[in-house]
Amino acid sequence: MIYVKDLHKHFGSLKVLNGINIHVNKGECVCVIGPSGSGKSTFLRCLNLLEQPTAGEIVVDGVTVTDPKVKIDQFRRDCGMVFQQFNLFPHLTILDNVTLSPVKLGILSKEEAEKKAMELLNRVGVGDKAANYPVQLSGGQKQRVAIARALCLNPNVMLFDEPTSALDPEMVGEVLDVMKQLAQEGMTMVVVTHEMGFAREVANRVVFMDGGIILEEGAPSEIFDHPKQERTQLFLSKVL
Amino acid sequence: MQAIIQTIIENFQICFIDGNRYRLMLNGLRMTILASLCAVVLGVVIGLIAAIMKLLGEKRSVHSFRGILAWVGHIISYIYIDVIRGTPSVVQLLIMYFIVFRGNFTFLCAVCTFGINSGAYVAEIIRAGILAVDHGQMEAGRSLGLSYARTMRYIIIPQAIKNILPALGNEFIVLIKETAILGYVSIMDLTKASDFIISRTYRMFMPLIGCAVIYYLLIKLLTLGLNTFERRLRQSDIR
Amino acid sequence: MKKIVKTVTAVLTAALLLTGCGGGSAPKETANEDAAQDYALVKEHTIIVGTNAEFPPFEFMDDNGEFDGFDIAVMKEVGNRMGMNVEVSNMEFKSLIGAMEANQLDVIAAAMTVTEDRKKSVDFTDSYYTARQYIVVQKDNSEIQSFADLDGKKIAVQEGTTGDFTASGEGSVNVVKDADVKRFKKGADAIMDLKNGSVDAVVIDMNPAMEFVNANDDLKIVEDETETEEYAFAVRKGNTQLIEAINNCLAEMKEDGTFDSLIEQYINE
Repeated sequence: MIYVKDLHKHFGSLKVLNGINIHVNKGECVCVIGPSGSGKSTFLRCLNLLEQPTAGEIVVDGVTVTDPKVKIDQFRRDCGMVFQQFNLFPHLTILDNVTLSPVKLGILSKEEAEKKAMELLNRVGVGDKAANYPVQLSGGQKQRVAIARALCLNPNVMLFDEPTSALDPEMVGEVLDVMKQLAQEGMTMVVVTHEMGFAREVANRVVFMDGGIILEEGAPSEIFDHPKQERTQLFLSKVL
Repeated sequence: MQAIIQTIIENFQICFIDGNRYRLMLNGLRMTILASLCAVVLGVVIGLIAAIMKLLGEKRSVHSFRGILAWVGHIISYIYIDVIRGTPSVVQLLIMYFIVFRGNFTFLCAVCTFGINSGAYVAEIIRAGILAVDHGQMEAGRSLGLSYARTMRYIIIPQAIKNILPALGNEFIVLIKETAILGYVSIMDLTKASDFIISRTYRMFMPLIGCAVIYYLLIKLLTLGLNTFERRLRQSDIR
Repeated sequence: MKKIVKTVTAVLTAALLLTGCGGGSAPKETANEDAAQDYALVKEHTIIVGTNAEFPPFEFMDDNGEFDGFDIAVMKEVGNRMGMNVEVSNMEFKSLIGAMEANQLDVIAAAMTVTEDRKKSVDFTDSYYTARQYIVVQKDNSEIQSFADLDGKKIAVQEGTTGDFTASGEGSVNVVKDADVKRFKKGADAIMDLKNGSVDAVVIDMNPAMEFVNANDDLKIVEDETETEEYAFAVRKGNTQLIEAINNCLAEMKEDGTFDSLIEQYINE
């Protein structure tokens, strides 16, 4: 589903990614962990070209994303993204936040989109807020709306960039529950997270990144219980 | 005291009532408002284009054709804003009237001059308003498969408008005062009307003070309207 | 005590002598000198002359940025003969009378035509020049032959001048009807407008008209019978002392040939 080959990303002289190689299967949920500054967010943002890779090849769902001729807007419809800061559109109602893209892109009619949006909003538990504006929602509610917004385009892949890091602790659970449900339904997911509990319970595979490369990857039990690398052990000893 | 009042009344009579000269002032006022309105509309259109051209070019690399195009647009818009802001509007008006339009279509010439002039300031207002919108909004829009243009149109600009509109109102007020130089190209605006009255009555006090009072009232009225409007805009933020 | 009084008297006398001396040493004493105190000038010993240096050959700015022209030269000579300094203040033509009423000018020397309307606001000296209004048109224009042909036409003028009044239908002999009058701050701008072809004609005093036509090959003058008009210097209303002094100087200059040589120098050259 996702093939990444020797991915490099430099910001000027700062080398953030130094040769990432990874393969994510369809229906797999991969959690990316690692200390801050390790390049995990940059890696995720390269996958849908929010950051332009310096070198390397990325193929997602059969689309060579790194090809200069790729129709990136077309590709992004199939690749949903959830941000740390939610990035809901403050000038639109919750319902309009979800329906904007499918309607403006002509994928769904307004009625279809609203019907689908309501289903999704109900599924993530914020159906009653459809007519409200983002400022009236709590952080957890906002993030669940953001997930519904991404899902409304029927993506094949979902990218999560630290979706719970900006939330108050009591709201983390409600968002993780939605993600867990999504994973169980077979969505291909790449999740950058600090929630080790979620990674251990939901992920099929955990990737540990540091210094712009993948240091170690494997099943959650392997990584969390028997980390091979010293850096992994050190990191886990701090966060667990 | 009575003598002073007497003189004032007499002067008022001579300057504004005799020969129905108040009509000149009213027509002048109408011209001032009309020219400013047309110019601000044109200015917003030009300013929006210039702002987007400038924004587009800021981040593009010059490795693709579209990138070069955006870069050229950026340079054009940069030069336009730089030149307009670096030259006096009265000089711009004289150039437009005598050299570009060669004395024809006087009103159109005036509207173009002030529209082009105002556009440079509006461009900076719009650019600042757009840049003030959180960068995450653009990313969110793009991640949903919307193009740059669509994200701008449906997500960034509607939010930027809240920052832009009050500043645009101010620009309109500045523009009204700027149009006082229309007399240089023989257009009978409010200032020129008072000039005309001076040239016929040889009295300066009444026409000049009268002209100033009318400008002041017009702009006061606009400012009050603008303040109310701004308060409304901000109210929608508090929920 | 006596000594102090003596000293004070001495100082006072010295001071009086000194100031007296200052006055006495001013250039060229004339018969008008004794009236000097009564001219009611804005600034002592200085005649402030208001003009609009956009009206060649009567007033213009020379290549060095100095004010020059027939009116300026005459007023300088008048100042010389009166033993006064002359200071030139340049402004828009329409503002001149207002500025004088506001006590900023002593004399207006701006090829100003004597009119009944203006007489309400200022007093005029004896006339020093007789002028007429000319029509300036593009060389290939054969339609406009007289003032009567200007009815309903587009006319450019300098704001507030006799040409403006004539074109606006406010004249007494040549009443132009329904013309679209474009009023500029300078005669030269009106001429530019004509050259650009956006008006049919310019109405302006004959001397500047000739200057402009001499400088522009594509323009020509249309002469028509029109009332003559008298140029005169204007002074603040009621300032008869100053009028008399200027009139005396003008008469003297005409007698001794100075006036004619200035006419020769500026106007007939």
